[in-house]
Amino acid sequence: MAGPFARGSVLRWLLVPVVLVPLGWLLFTGLGSDPRNLPSPLVGKPIPVFAGTTLEGDRFSSADLAGKPAVINFWASYCIPSCVDEHPVLLDLVARHGDEVQLVGVLVNDTPDGARGFLDRYGQVSWPTMLNPDGGISIDYGVTGPPETFFVDADGVVVSRHIGPLTRALVDEGLASLGIAP
Amino acid sequence: MRRLALPIAVAALLALGGLVVVELLRPSVAPTQADQARQVAAELRCPDCQALSVAESQTASAAAIRRQIAEQLAAGQTPGQIRAYFVARYGEWILLAPPSPFAWWIPPLALVVGIGLFAWWLGRGHVAPAPAPAPPAGGVRQQIRDEVERLDA
Repeated sequence: MAGPFARGSVLRWLLVPVVLVPLGWLLFTGLGSDPRNLPSPLVGKPIPVFAGTTLEGDRFSSADLAGKPAVINFWASYCIPSCVDEHPVLLDLVARHGDEVQLVGVLVNDTPDGARGFLDRYGQVSWPTMLNPDGGISIDYGVTGPPETFFVDADGVVVSRHIGPLTRALVDEGLASLGIAP
Repeated sequence: MRRLALPIAVAALLALGGLVVVELLRPSVAPTQADQARQVAAELRCPDCQALSVAESQTASAAAIRRQIAEQLAAGQTPGQIRAYFVARYGEWILLAPPSPFAWWIPPLALVVGIGLFAWWLGRGHVAPAPAPAPPAGGVRQQIRDEVERLDA
């Protein structure tokens, strides 16, 4: 019997939600997500260990971070303007919280000369910068590109990761997650 | 055309099944370590470029990952262990292909469902045609004739 509820008609109407609902869900979840908030599998886990030479020629390792919250910042001299914009934020972080948190920089696919030129131009820093010549530290931390920053608690566990340049608000948010009042 | 719907759908399904069988029966050659390194690199996303695999990209990060793949294979790690190593650091984002084998079945499944829906759509015209409406009764005919004459007058 033909009518508004004939079998073919019901099937055709069923196709609309079957197609549109998953499509809408994909668009909603895909377009609404911030590409800078890629989940890091390292969050909640101990930091990957590293050891090597700093820009000043000293030895430095992840063991030197033990017992104090740390901020590990991956950067490069070619990372313009993001790393240039971020640089004063990092200087401000150390000026305000240098006693409470250890900042360490790690170069990403960069040369020591390139990094020194950057610091000469935009301001010298008091914290160590790892050379990372074979890119092994970047791979161990799953770095997708500079700048990228990891907030690590006093037990050496990664609390959060930020992709892109830090701002003062983001620094304060990261420090708060480590139990440090802004 | 509608009479051909079922044979077309069956032929399409047979062709698809034939392709699967040919692929499954193709003789395999044991890959060398270099082949394995290329294969793993082709399955990993270059971390600092757009839509390129580690095998294709010329960035320093991709080169570092290729170096690590070669070192790990030389150390006796399997391709699966190496993939897991990078997933543990970058997340499943680093894999260019979906990790679940179920995902590979979605396109052929969608194709089969699509062929089925198409065949159903073509075949639904085979229902018996509705009976033709009965001719108007004699009285109605006369009434129409009278109306036409009155309009012509």
